[in-house]
Amino acid sequence: MPALRGSLTYSRFFIDTSEGPAAQKVPDDFREKYMRAIRLRAMKPLEAEDEDLERSGWCKVAEPFEIELHYDDVFCNEYVALGFRTDRWQIPGPMLKARVREAEAAYLEKKGKEKLGRKERAELKESVARKLRKQSAPSTRMVDLVWSMNDGIVRFFSHSDKAAGNMTELFHKTFGLRLVAEAPYTLASRLGLTKAQEGAWQEIEISVLAKEAS
Amino acid sequence: MEVFERIELRRFVGRELLLWLWFESEVFEGTLATKQHGSFGLWLEGRLVLSAGQEVTTIKGTIPGQHREAKEALLRGKMPDLASLHLAWADHDATLTLKAETLAIAGLKLPRKEPAAAPTGEGTTVPVRRAPRRRAAPAEAAAELAAHEANEELYERMRVTREIEEILEALYRDFLALRLGPAWSELVMPALEAWTLGDDVDADDYGTARTKALAAAGPKGATRK
Repeated sequence: MPALRGSLTYSRFFIDTSEGPAAQKVPDDFREKYMRAIRLRAMKPLEAEDEDLERSGWCKVAEPFEIELHYDDVFCNEYVALGFRTDRWQIPGPMLKARVREAEAAYLEKKGKEKLGRKERAELKESVARKLRKQSAPSTRMVDLVWSMNDGIVRFFSHSDKAAGNMTELFHKTFGLRLVAEAPYTLASRLGLTKAQEGAWQEIEISVLAKEAS
Repeated sequence: MEVFERIELRRFVGRELLLWLWFESEVFEGTLATKQHGSFGLWLEGRLVLSAGQEVTTIKGTIPGQHREAKEALLRGKMPDLASLHLAWADHDATLTLKAETLAIAGLKLPRKEPAAAPTGEGTTVPVRRAPRRRAAPAEAAAELAAHEANEELYERMRVTREIEEILEALYRDFLALRLGPAWSELVMPALEAWTLGDDVDADDYGTARTKALAAAGPKGATRK
């Protein structure tokens, strides 16, 4: 989902200030500090031998394969722009099953056995999966993200809950800041509810327009 | 009530926000106003989705809110899930789809960028001509130029996006002032019910009462001119 061109589809997240407004304060040396943290969490592409089946990391905004990040790639005035890249091995289940069956049959014949142990079966499956991974490439997905440091708003250019969950986790690991997803209450709270309105919010009930309440 | 509950159990407020925007945009004939922004255009355009549980009604059209099925869906207990809006302010036009329960934005089409204009000295302006790019620019300089243009583009897109968000936030602030006070049951709900049934709602009377209610709700409230 692009931030740089076309129409924009995004969800908003806010820096959680429940532990005090200091949480939102950007440090004076933010460029150096954040750049170090971003490089530490930059995307490390999945390899067939890796144990992980899925991995996420930062890349250049709009450029999923640019993972060596420079200051100019990331900072634009008060904005931090990044790509949130996720690699995932996607071996079709039926194909894996068929290959495992073949491997099991070959193994049994070779060993002269009739049945496989649980451990043997697991090792064979892993070996087949690794072989298949070597013959293919992981799927790569990228979602742009733009953090407005002045407003404490992160715009994440996707509506996927799963991607958002993974992104907020990586964001926290990288910047030490928790993100809160936008919702009617969170926006109301940020806009500032009076004590009476806060009380009314707790008591509020759904308005019913329907006349045919049968 | 825990914060989690205040968020999860009150997502319906977003649906009521969309309903109120739809209602006010029809009553005020597509011209809304906030204290912060003055008057601007806002109306439903493109798509309106209403639901109640598993039952969903999707209406597409130039003015989906005026389709017969739209009000019928309300009378059957459905509420807006998402609505496509047209926003016109300060010589700009943008369209977007607002999702009720997350307030997430989809398909935001930003205003087209006008070419920068230079004064001619005679009261008119002409578009600035960009300097032609050198054909054989060194790769490094070309990359630097591209990066600079991308940064400018990002900055401008985020600036306009924020402007649009601020208008929506100002409307939400007004909505909350009404929704969380006595004006909701005394003024807005009766008007909403009449409007849903197809009865006339007097825009002047409603507008005056609304302005008073917002003024009573606090200094943040907006006024209609």
